Amino acid sequence: MATSAKTRVERRAARRSGDAGRRTEYLAFGLAGETFAVQIAHVAEILKPPPVTEVPRAPRNVLGVISVRGKLVTVLDLRRRFRLPESAFDRRTRILLADAGTGEQIGLLVDEVMQVWRLAADEIEPAHVLGGDQPAHIAGVGRPAEAGGDTLILIDLRPILGTT
Amino acid sequence: MAEGSGGRGEGTDKARDEFFSEAQELVDGLGRDLLALDQGLKKNQFDPELINDVFRGVHTLKGLSGLFGATRMSGLSHQLEDALDDLRLGRVELTGAVLDLLFQAVSLYTRLLVAEKGETGEPAQEVEELLVALGQVSGQKPGGPNTTVAQYDLDPGLFGVLTEYEEHRLRTTIQQGLNLYRIRVRFSLTTIDSALDELKATVRPHGEIITYLPTGAGADPETIELEILMASAGALALLRTVIVGANVTVEDVPRRTSASNRPSLLAPSPAEARVPEEFGGAGPAGGGARGGGRDGHGGEQRSAGGGSGGGHGGHAGGGAESEPSPPRSIAARPGPAAARGPARGSTTADLSLRSISQTVRVDIRKLDRLMTVVGELAIVKTAIARLTERARGRTTGPREIAIELQRLNRAFERGLAQMQGGILEVRMVPLGQAFDKLARIVRQISREHGKEVHLVVTGAETEIDKLIVEELSDPLMHMIRNAIDHGIEAREDRLRVGKPPVGTIALNAFQKGNHVVLEIEDDGAGMDSKAIIAAAIRRGMVSEEESRGLTPRETFAFVFVPGFTTKAVATDLSGRGVGLDVVKTNIAKLGGVVDIASEVGIGTKMTITLPITLAIINVLLVEICSRLFAVPLANVDEAIALDESQVRSIESREVLSVRGVSLPICRLERLFSLSRERRSNRAFVVIAQVADRRLGLVVDELVGQQDIVIKPLGKSLETVRGFSGATELGDQRVALIFDVAGLIEEVLSPGENRFLSPSPQTQDGFYDGRRKAESRVG
Repeated sequence: MATSAKTRVERRAARRSGDAGRRTEYLAFGLAGETFAVQIAHVAEILKPPPVTEVPRAPRNVLGVISVRGKLVTVLDLRRRFRLPESAFDRRTRILLADAGTGEQIGLLVDEVMQVWRLAADEIEPAHVLGGDQPAHIAGVGRPAEAGGDTLILIDLRPILGTT
Repeated sequence: MAEGSGGRGEGTDKARDEFFSEAQELVDGLGRDLLALDQGLKKNQFDPELINDVFRGVHTLKGLSGLFGATRMSGLSHQLEDALDDLRLGRVELTGAVLDLLFQAVSLYTRLLVAEKGETGEPAQEVEELLVALGQVSGQKPGGPNTTVAQYDLDPGLFGVLTEYEEHRLRTTIQQGLNLYRIRVRFSLTTIDSALDELKATVRPHGEIITYLPTGAGADPETIELEILMASAGALALLRTVIVGANVTVEDVPRRTSASNRPSLLAPSPAEARVPEEFGGAGPAGGGARGGGRDGHGGEQRSAGGGSGGGHGGHAGGGAESEPSPPRSIAARPGPAAARGPARGSTTADLSLRSISQTVRVDIRKLDRLMTVVGELAIVKTAIARLTERARGRTTGPREIAIELQRLNRAFERGLAQMQGGILEVRMVPLGQAFDKLARIVRQISREHGKEVHLVVTGAETEIDKLIVEELSDPLMHMIRNAIDHGIEAREDRLRVGKPPVGTIALNAFQKGNHVVLEIEDDGAGMDSKAIIAAAIRRGMVSEEESRGLTPRETFAFVFVPGFTTKAVATDLSGRGVGLDVVKTNIAKLGGVVDIASEVGIGTKMTITLPITLAIINVLLVEICSRLFAVPLANVDEAIALDESQVRSIESREVLSVRGVSLPICRLERLFSLSRERRSNRAFVVIAQVADRRLGLVVDELVGQQDIVIKPLGKSLETVRGFSGATELGDQRVALIFDVAGLIEEVLSPGENRFLSPSPQTQDGFYDGRRKAESRVG
């Protein structure tokens, strides 16, 4: 029983590494009709938004603070951050609890969370295909083979979370 | 330490944490002992127990650091041990210069610990230099026998069993003119440890126990007789009244007549130094563990009938004033470290007094009480569960359930309050923890500047939250440094104006309501308010007109403004402002304020007012533009309805008269540019007070009081001013807590807004380059 499960995992892993090198997992989310994705390794948790308390004088991108199990978390409005039109919360609105190695977890407000994509290196195009002079947080474009032409804008969280 | 098998598990981290916390405690203890030694040195007193304490501390550190592979630290400890051993044994005299080295070692320990945590590089070079300097100390051993011991009629075998240390103490005490007494006492074997400790405690105020040995007399296998050799200034009759007991006799050690032809005991030959057979095996109570090794000296436990400590002859006791040929002082031949003293002054600038470990020692009884409360709360929980069952079964009517719930709620509230109080108590530590380190700094800085400074501390027992103590030590250090650097004048200058040559810095702490007040007062040159105003005008911080109306406090507040340093101000002030803006910011982060009062020629007093704890506070919840905020009740004087007809506008500032007194007010919705959905037809003024500055905060509604746990805003929001944190209200909502001290400062301080730190960084980072003022809410 245990052995068969193990061999199955191994076989799958072997197939994966054989087919297109290492794959990276991305979590796709929607924002004003576009699909973005971040490395899932940086997402600690997906939350339904609790009441958000505004912080006067905070930077414009900051929606406010929430309490996650007794800890205060700053929430960034990604629409504001990406200069997209703002919209009201609905039942699909989510907060991604992101941690990009700064020690502080930051909430990212997104319209909806979609699915996890496992992208091989040849399914990722560098950012400059979108033209030169892209903002630092655009890491590239994902073109999952199974998605049939749909693209993901891959986001690097580090510039967004304030460190480089 | 099994390394490699399990990797870096949690256990390893925990052990390391314990290492840091224990090492930190030891280093703190060393600092305290050294200070006590320094005090003693000034009065020409020398407590040998203190050196022993230092020695033991260093010895433990050596073992500890060896265990954790902190090689540089254990190397330093090893060398220190050597030097301390020489001090203990009187081979080297304790001088200010030697103490300097020891103090330096303490600060190096701290830096090594920080380095060990991986936060900075190791101060390798400094350690090397100190090692060289210590080596020179150890190398200096005064010689020359003396003969005073010979006048006592002591057993010639005695010197064979005395350790080097005991022998040294014997010589020293005799040189000090103390009398020797022999106490014979019989102990029961079962209680010997406690009985001996008791005896030591009894004797301690009257003299020093040099050694004790079992006599081997008496046939009773259940008891043991000890002979105690003791030195005391007291007379025999006095000692006989102090040391009493059924099995105790006290007698003089008679002085020998000059005609005595017994052999001298002074320089026992190596042959004599062997342990006499009868002592080697005689002590049933003794472990005989005192080998020739260094570790034996570190042991506190005296083992009666121990082995030989190595009775090297030819060393004389040092340190006594009456010593005819005193040991050469180290100061006469300064080592490289001593010579570099003044040049080193700058290194203290980047020194931090923060402990590297974040532990609190807790009395187990406090924890027991908390555990009892937890037990009570568990009972409440069970009762609630049972009640839920009954409600579900509908066997009990809603009324009974309500009554029962109310009872449980009361029990729960009581338990929670006790729990809260208990935990707060656990977090409280005496301010003395920070003061001890400051005394070290005072000594160091005053020596560097060649000024004599006397530090007078009162209220060290005042308790405050551990976190505050930690955050406080660095600002306090800055202020003390300032006081010595720029406050206390040079000795000649002081004499010229008729002040005592030694400057005084007073550090006073006391509790005042929910606050702790700290005063740092020096009797130095003081600050010239005219010069400060002139500089403020030159820098455009106030107009000449405005400056006439400034109160002294407003005037001195300028020295806290970043950049108010001061080439332009009179030279005797230069530097006063350096670091003070940082001090103020750090104190403000703790919810405190700093005030200065100063008079030219008389001195300067800085007063810090701080909340006792940051952990749990009682707040007043208020509503502004349909948003909830919290004001710490400790800062609330009273709350009144706002009567708009009593508001006057004076110089673009709104002032309300309350019972005939003017109160500046601040409309928070404007300050925070909050958008309002509906007009409210009434408003309240919450009168907030910090130290003796008051400000009326205009709010829409008073919601109520609540105990809350304050949580810091994340790093991403640390540039946002006006809030000290936030709290969860229980229904998932979060309320921001006003930083009242900060608000008062912001609203009331003249000219400060012109010196605000610039808006947050504008890279393509967390902030998108828009200014704070544009921050839109809604």
